[in-house]
Amino acid sequence: MGSANRSELEMLRETAASFAANELLRDREETDRFPFAPFWRDKVEKGWRMGLFTLTLPEELGGGGQGVEALAVVLDALGQVDAGMGGIVLANALAQEICLQAGAGGIFAGSIEDESALETLTACPAFDDPRFLRPSLRADKRGGRWELRGRSEYVTLAGLAARMVLPALTGEPAGLSYFACPRGETVDVSEPVISLGLRACPSCDLEIKGAEALLLGEEGGGEAYFGAAYQRMLPAAAALSAGVLKGSLREALEYARQRRQGGREIVGWSEVRMILADMAVSAQEAELLVREACRAVDEGEPGWTLTARAASIRVLDLACEAAADGIQLLGGNGYMADYHQEKRFRDAVQVQSFLGMQDMKRQEYAGLLVRDGLPW
Amino acid sequence: MERPNRCSLLEEYPAFDDIYCSLKALRRMPKAVIGESRKAVELARRFNREVVRPRALELDLRKQEDPDHLPWDLVEEADRWGLYTMFIPRIFGGGGFNFPALSCVLEELASGCTGIANLVGVHYLGVATLCSSWNIRLMNRVMRDTVNGHRGGRPCLISLAITEPDAGTDVEEVELVRKAKVSCHAEKVKGGYLVNGRKIFISNGHLSTWHMLIAYEDLKHPETTTVMLAVRNGMPGFSFGRQEHKMGQKACPASELIFEDCFVPDENVCFDVKQAASGVTPEEVEKTVMQVIDYVVSGSRAGVGAFGTGVARGAFEEALRFAAGTEVDGKLLVNHEWAQCLLAEMYKNVAVSRLTYVETNYANSLYGMFKALNYRPVFYLLKMLPRPVIDRALQPLLELPAVTRLFRRIYFDWQPSAFTRRTSGWASLCKFAATDAGVRNCQLALEMMGRAGLRHEGRAEKHLRDSKLLQIYEGTNQLNRLNLFKCLIARSVPQARVFEE
Repeated sequence: MGSANRSELEMLRETAASFAANELLRDREETDRFPFAPFWRDKVEKGWRMGLFTLTLPEELGGGGQGVEALAVVLDALGQVDAGMGGIVLANALAQEICLQAGAGGIFAGSIEDESALETLTACPAFDDPRFLRPSLRADKRGGRWELRGRSEYVTLAGLAARMVLPALTGEPAGLSYFACPRGETVDVSEPVISLGLRACPSCDLEIKGAEALLLGEEGGGEAYFGAAYQRMLPAAAALSAGVLKGSLREALEYARQRRQGGREIVGWSEVRMILADMAVSAQEAELLVREACRAVDEGEPGWTLTARAASIRVLDLACEAAADGIQLLGGNGYMADYHQEKRFRDAVQVQSFLGMQDMKRQEYAGLLVRDGLPW
Repeated sequence: MERPNRCSLLEEYPAFDDIYCSLKALRRMPKAVIGESRKAVELARRFNREVVRPRALELDLRKQEDPDHLPWDLVEEADRWGLYTMFIPRIFGGGGFNFPALSCVLEELASGCTGIANLVGVHYLGVATLCSSWNIRLMNRVMRDTVNGHRGGRPCLISLAITEPDAGTDVEEVELVRKAKVSCHAEKVKGGYLVNGRKIFISNGHLSTWHMLIAYEDLKHPETTTVMLAVRNGMPGFSFGRQEHKMGQKACPASELIFEDCFVPDENVCFDVKQAASGVTPEEVEKTVMQVIDYVVSGSRAGVGAFGTGVARGAFEEALRFAAGTEVDGKLLVNHEWAQCLLAEMYKNVAVSRLTYVETNYANSLYGMFKALNYRPVFYLLKMLPRPVIDRALQPLLELPAVTRLFRRIYFDWQPSAFTRRTSGWASLCKFAATDAGVRNCQLALEMMGRAGLRHEGRAEKHLRDSKLLQIYEGTNQLNRLNLFKCLIARSVPQARVFEE
């Protein structure tokens, strides 16, 4: 995968920021009410036409051929305004990445020329790490064809996308494999699961009753494919969180300048300044960490997996803290939907669980440290 | 070298009486308080099992779908269970349960749903506000209205209307309200007050019948012109505005109350400048206004601490349930050592939070609003007197101005500032310690549970949404830290100035 130069990245950032400001800002409260409000299909279509959903697909498959840093730049810009669209971009990119790692990128060939964005999105259980939380879905070979049976929970974009990438257990003893499966008659898709955050990026539960599926890569190769995709996508999730963090800081600063308490601007209170300082330091820290993590991933420098993980885990946490501080700084208003800070708070916590439990990310990181030693 | 006497050593910072409220209170506590508290907790647990847990998620979803929905059915159910009258003193017709047990009930309810706990707790915030005026005649009238409503199957709740569009935290501290941009004006006119202005974020506003309204005669000098008025639904000029769209605690509406030339007759004035203390100098008025605020928040912040404890417990229980039933990396999560340590940390957060509200209630029983009712002879007298005797013999006495004057003498004029500092300081400590722990436990639960915690039906995400508000209402946790400093620390540093930055 290529990596964009600075000016290309800046152009991407501006494009994404302008899309967010012009298309997402005004209606974000309403779109976040999904499924109690209509799905923002037209905005997703626009994002699709801009190439947001094919950024990291290789050029030979019709994608943008960009690296993780480019994806991160876009997610950061979107996250500053509304993380919902970023959630769709991220979940879709993860599904694509798993396929690419399995050497099965060919399934996307030609699909990006489709007219409809939703037809070309790919769903996957984006909030799971199947290496630790084993799937209850099982795949068996019947007459030379693979069939999926069982339940797959919290599959992000499943209610929208025409195609799904799902982990399933195969063989005896059971190994983890990945499959691509169309959303056909043998797949029951639940209503969107009501979730804490990223509500405009919905997830559904699946009941699969003998759906024909395509094995991605090799049987039993699932752990390796997911692991490789995980390493690349974790910094991207951190970038989305960094965007939420920066958005929180901007909102808090603006509010503190305008609002008065005890006869003076809130920003004049030293305790408020302490909170603002913490948020600003976190924003700077997140900016540096995400950039470093993405560079390490794209350039594949020695020890990059540890660098990227450490940076990402930290940023996911920082965003949650800063979003909570943002609510605190806005007081009662911060808790109300009108000011959007409560949405940032929910989104930040939701993104924290992207790719599985945050605590297991820490456990795995410690395991790698023990195995490989310190990265410096 | 001169040997310091024992008393002066005990008064040195930290003063013995400031830090061991429980030791002193236990000796004086009526024994029946224990049995009564057990009964209250048992009732709350039953209510939790039969009403809160089965309905909490459904109601939360309903409010997400229709933000203007009002949970009347739940209020009626809570009223049927007696939750709105059980803590009203028997002398006013209520169940007469001891007030500290209210915190235990609130913890239980909040462990199931903080929104529903608030639906009950906020009513008692209204009661506490009314009581802080020590206007015995009005206390009797309003609380008996609640009791009669309960008997007639018509819930009659009381709310506190204090927050304004441009003044939230400011109105909970005299030093801040002095410079605040308040706008709810109460003009003294013949026979009462004419009120104009708006109140926002009023918990239970739309569901309440009575509203303890805080307004100001002079908007430029609110600190010395505070009035507390009892406004009943239906009074001309009073109406409800919108409901706020909150992130959590959706069961309990946050309402806008609108006053447009609303006439409140003198008989509904709980407290105004002319009634304040025995003196009428601005300093004395200010002191009394602060006493009123302190009586309210010393009780209500213990209640919010109980909410914090409850939501911390709810999150812990969901995390424990998840860990006990989920296999992670080849074995049950609950058998991972790191998870056991994390669960122990969460349990600790619950236990420590509970201790803070218990200690605050000991302080309130010794030095604060509960002291008269927890005085053993009064406690047992009110328990044992038959209701007809209370209703026929005692009630007429409550109408006498002399009774109000006596209580105000006790609670305003004779109240040492050290007592107020102690209750208010502990209440602030409890409020921010327990609510911070509540939010923390929710975060820990979600980090442990991953996507299972993000799902609405998993309850953990709702606990997190609910918990965040606890760090904001009843004074932000930042204000409460400052108040703790003012009440329990600044005394040892004479050069320290609070709210004067």
